[in-house]
Formats: sequence, C-alpha cells, structure tokens
Amino acid sequence: MASRSRTYNTEGVVLRRRNLGEADSIFTVFSPTEGKFDAVARGVRKPKSRMRGHLEPLTRSQMHLAQGRTLDVFTQAETVEGFRAIRDNLDRITVAIYCCELVDRFTVDRAAQPQLYQLLLEVLEGLNADAPLTIGRAFELHLLGLTGYELQLSNCALCGATLPAEEALFSAISGGLVCESCRPRATTGRIVSVRAIKAMRFASRSSLGDFAGLRLDEELELELRRALGDAIRVVLDRDTNSGRYVEALAAPLRAGLRGALGDVQSPSPLTSERDSLNAPL
Amino acid sequence: MAEVPSTPEPIQRLVEAFHRLPGIGPKSAQRLAYHVLRTSDQEANALIEAVADVKRRIKLCSSCLNITEADPCGYCSDDRRDRTTICVVEQPLDVLAIERSGGYRGLYHVLHGILNPMDGIGPEDIHLRELVIRLQSGDVQEVIMATNPSLEGEATAMYIQRLIGPAGVKVTRLARGLPSGADLEYTDDITLARAMLGRQEV
Repeated sequence: MASRSRTYNTEGVVLRRRNLGEADSIFTVFSPTEGKFDAVARGVRKPKSRMRGHLEPLTRSQMHLAQGRTLDVFTQAETVEGFRAIRDNLDRITVAIYCCELVDRFTVDRAAQPQLYQLLLEVLEGLNADAPLTIGRAFELHLLGLTGYELQLSNCALCGATLPAEEALFSAISGGLVCESCRPRATTGRIVSVRAIKAMRFASRSSLGDFAGLRLDEELELELRRALGDAIRVVLDRDTNSGRYVEALAAPLRAGLRGALGDVQSPSPLTSERDSLNAPL
Repeated sequence: MAEVPSTPEPIQRLVEAFHRLPGIGPKSAQRLAYHVLRTSDQEANALIEAVADVKRRIKLCSSCLNITEADPCGYCSDDRRDRTTICVVEQPLDVLAIERSGGYRGLYHVLHGILNPMDGIGPEDIHLRELVIRLQSGDVQEVIMATNPSLEGEATAMYIQRLIGPAGVKVTRLARGLPSGADLEYTDDITLARAMLGRQEV
C-alpha cells in the first residue's frame, strides 16, 4: 500500500451501491487492476453531483480515487459504457445484476483478476447486444473455472475415469460429473443428459459469444440452470439474492396477486414459460 | 485494579438510542444525550411527547399507504383531486416533493421500498399487492411511475408495467433529463441520450 500514491486512476464496473448518511453512497467496484473494492462518493445523491450517473450499478466507468483512512473516495468518474440496452429490458437487467452479484460473492477485496473482469465485460456486452439470456449459463461456468472451482466434465470427479458418452450424475459437492461406479460415493447430485454434458463441455472451452450463438431449447436450458445453480450454491453455501429475485419475477403470479388481478384476460408476461426458463436460477 | 467509573446507565442508554438514528455517529449521540440532560423538564417532555405521538397517531392510509393521522389520508379523501391517475412513489418523502412541485393533482401510492435484486428485495417485500387491488375498481386510467431514475427504480417501474400493463391501465414514467443548474459536460451518457430523446420545442 505504501508504494501507491495518494490518488490513483482505475477503470471498473460498478457492481452495487449502498447509501451512506444524507447524500453519500458507497459503491462496490470491480476493476481489472485493483480487483473488487468499496469506495465512497460524497454528495453523489444530490441532483447537482457531477459523478451521479457515472457511478450507477451496471456502468463501466473510468474513475479517479483518493486514498481515505478507511475507504477510498471517488474524486472523478466518467462513463465508458452505460449498457443502455440492458437497462431498458427487465430480463436483461436481472441477468446482468445476477452476474454482478456472482462476481461480488466470488471475489475478495483488492485482488486483481483481469480475466474475470474480461468475462464480466463480455457478458455485459453480450446482454447489451442481442445475446440470448442463456449467456448467463456460460458466464456461470467460466466464473467457476476462473475462481478455482472448475467443474470436472470429461472425467469422473471422484476416480478420474473417462466418462462414456451417456447420461451421468452431476454432483456439485464432488466437483462435477461422477461415473457409474462412483455414484454411491457421491452424496448428492442430479442426473444430467448427454446433451447437457455436451453443452457444458462446449461452454467451458468456447467464448461466451460462441455459446450465445447456440440455440438451447427450454428443457436443456433448465437442466443447465439447475446443475450450475447447484454448483454455485455449493461454493457460496447460500442462494444468491438476485437469484431469489429472479425466481420471484419468473414464478407464476403469487396467489395474492393472481387473485387481485382477477379477470385479467391476457396472461401476464410474468407467468410466461419463456421468463421462467431464462431466469438464471 | 479499581473499576473505572463508567457513564451512568440512563445516559448510556440515551446515547445508544441516539446512535441508532440515521446519520448520528458516536460523538454526535453523546452530544445530543448530554444536551437532553441539560434541557428543562418541559423541553425534554415535549420531545418525549413528540416521539410518542408519532408512534401512536401516525398510521398508513389504507388506500395509498402514505403516512397519515386520519384514514383515508388527506389526498385520498380530497374530492377535488383527479381519481383517474395514481402516482407511484418509493417513500412518503417523495409525496411531499411532488406536492411541493405543484404539478400534480391526482392520487398517490407509496411502495415503502423498491425492488432491489442485489439485496434480495422482491415484489413481496414492497406494497405492490395493494396497488393491484386499487386498480381493480376500474376508475384508474393512468399509473405514473415516479420511482427514482436509478437502476433499481427503473427495474421497479418495468416490473410494475409488466404486472399491471396487461390489465389495460396506461403506465407512464417520469421524464428523464438534465436537472436545472446542471453542467452538460459532466452529464452521463444515458441521461444525456434520454434528454435528447425527450427534447421539446422551445
């Protein structure tokens, strides 16, 4: 820390915001050079603040910071990319926020992970363009790999034996696929189809963009979402907040709201199959 | 070793109570507590009364969920207000801000929160259900979303649009643009782009 000067420049993606006091906010930023860090923006909630808008969550910004006693302080910020197309679409917002939450939960403060940063930019750029929401699956898989939890997809995670081309047990707690003979040793898991195994293998060795080009049917997407959701839950030992939120967005209207809406003719998009299948968890 | 004499327990308790207030640090809390200690009984009682009254007499309007002393609240029971529009806001203070602007004469709906995926605040955690119930009467033709122009505010507005749009109610959003006194140079791209879209003939 001593070698760093009192002020520094960095770029980063704003992951989240917490309000502090009357007009300040604390932002969690993920930067390729600084890693994840929290910093304060003073007066950012006042209408005349010059940084407001440049530090919204889901914004890639160029920022200048000054070292503070406990938290560093933003002195300038300028948007590099605001991902406007994501902001205009509720489904894209939710997937993007889910990806940001994963980055937040899978990283520790001030540890640079340029590859993970690149991955985050890729998924945000994809969502900002016309990538299908299923790009989230490839993001999950790559994130697990980059943070040291790579899933074992070609050999048995327990004995290392080569897996035959057939359905297998996906055991998140064992770290990936498990062969027939090791099945009794894997405490939990779910059977995944050959298609799902192939899709995961493909995703793990190709870029997010290539995976986004893949047309996944709903059944396959759901299978991947459940399996990767298991893997993430095992690492984090909890559900993600935005994952639960997505669930609430996608779940059929709760009894109360359905009752309250009464005689609504057209089915609300909230109940559509498409929504619930594109949800990350 | 002798016990270090500590602050008398009642004062300590008051300091802690003040410390729990937003924006009050440990030093300010101490200063406030010692100030209360020095004030006259009358002033101290006035404070006690005021705090007690707020908790005793203020409730949520059964219709719009704004804070009120009488139920329904002043806005909901005012016949001169336009009953065909509802302005949806995050918190009671936003109602005051909009009233101050003098540009709105319809009804309100206070959500008491905002959808926040990162913190796991979902549709069940805010007063959304009540809004849907209000719309059932059929009187309302327009719902104005006046949530903050932040990521969460926008997400909330879009969610509500999805929820009630199919019921045939028009859902509108407050315009986004430059605040008065702003510097164009420091404005973020998104705001500027929206301001350009929403430009008006001079």
